[in-house]
Amino acid sequence: MIVAAAIALIQLDSLKTGKPSVIAVAVTSIAVFAQEAGAAAGTFARGAAASVANAPRLAEQNAELREKDRLLRIENARLREALAAAPDARAIAALAEQTGAGTLATIVGYDPESVSRSVTIDRGSLAGIAPGDGVMSDGGVVGRVVAVAPLSSTVLLVTDGASKVPAVVERGRWWGIATGTNTAIRLEYVSQDAKLKLGDIVVTGEGRSFHAGLEIGRITSVDHPDGALYQTAIVTPSVAFGRLAHVLVLRHS
Amino acid sequence: MSRTNADIARTRALWTANKPGETGAPAYEPNPPVPWQVALALAAALLWQSSLGASLQFRGAGISFVPLIVAWYAVRMGWLRGLTFGLIAGACEDALAGSTGAAWTLATGLIGLACGRLRGTWFADTRLALVPGAALATFLRYCAFAVAMQSEGRPLALPLTHLHVALWQSAFGAIVAFVVLRLFPRLGAANPHRR
Repeated sequence: MIVAAAIALIQLDSLKTGKPSVIAVAVTSIAVFAQEAGAAAGTFARGAAASVANAPRLAEQNAELREKDRLLRIENARLREALAAAPDARAIAALAEQTGAGTLATIVGYDPESVSRSVTIDRGSLAGIAPGDGVMSDGGVVGRVVAVAPLSSTVLLVTDGASKVPAVVERGRWWGIATGTNTAIRLEYVSQDAKLKLGDIVVTGEGRSFHAGLEIGRITSVDHPDGALYQTAIVTPSVAFGRLAHVLVLRHS
Repeated sequence: MSRTNADIARTRALWTANKPGETGAPAYEPNPPVPWQVALALAAALLWQSSLGASLQFRGAGISFVPLIVAWYAVRMGWLRGLTFGLIAGACEDALAGSTGAAWTLATGLIGLACGRLRGTWFADTRLALVPGAALATFLRYCAFAVAMQSEGRPLALPLTHLHVALWQSAFGAIVAFVVLRLFPRLGAANPHRR
């Protein structure tokens, strides 16, 4: 009875204070090692399965990728030239380099019940990570850190229903709030005069977790009801969350 | 291992001595779970669900072993141990989920308590009841989780969005319970307190 009461009280106290409980710290610290092993095994198994499944298409894919690579090299050279020609953009790039790109982390776990869209990463407060830190991958915005233990952290993905990120439609600088729908992102509170188009890129606005300009995704549908105060758009995330393995944690400023 | 006639006679004599007015005797030997095995099963379930199991999902739902282990332990050990074990298992899930506050702790504790109340009854050792019971425990735990999440300030729409996940998980729970009880019938054997 005493043990049961103690567990309940510890958990409720943690809920009240908003800090991880002793139980949570202990469990996550122990679990992170096992999860790392599990994640490595899972990655290997997925890779092996994908290799076997894709074997007949490899030659075709190789040719396709070589062509893509050639086009990207041309595009890369053009962008380098554009960056060199724009002192402001170069200064921002230099500033990002000075402040440090952040902390690299590996995804080692997921929500055990798949209720929240969250992942566990293998870096925690010992690596300087704090609640509210933004998390991104090479594709774009991943989410933000919501819970931190010494050796691991929990990241709430941008597709979770509880996630809200200030967002801007890049083409017209129209502001909105990007809220998760579990599978995609809904851009809400966009003013009615914004002329949203399918394929428009949505990026982060300056906020608590992210600096402005990080890609969130592309608009795939627009709901523009007559008489409503705002319009809403559905955004497909630029990050493939199913294949996400490594992320970059940006320091909360 | 089958019981000899002498064993049965001894048990019957003990029963009659303790309950002079009754002639019936328990049909099975006590079969309490081994604590370290239960702890190991819980750890394996948590590890599976938070790593590899997350990749193996059907319509967004994977198999949730935790409520099955808690419910099984509770019906054999009683409400107090069921509650304690449920709280521990739920606290571990909350720790791994990170953004659920204490909702799984409360929900799983509640299921441990409720299942523990069934100890010694017909429900505790009848496969016909254990299989749908596994589904019911999984679903009721999810409902308790939804209520706890709402009381923590999250909108009710979020748990409702995942209702189909809970229904699939319940169905998977029943299938897992059925398969496990077919493979290991000993796990469904009675305890000594059957009324």
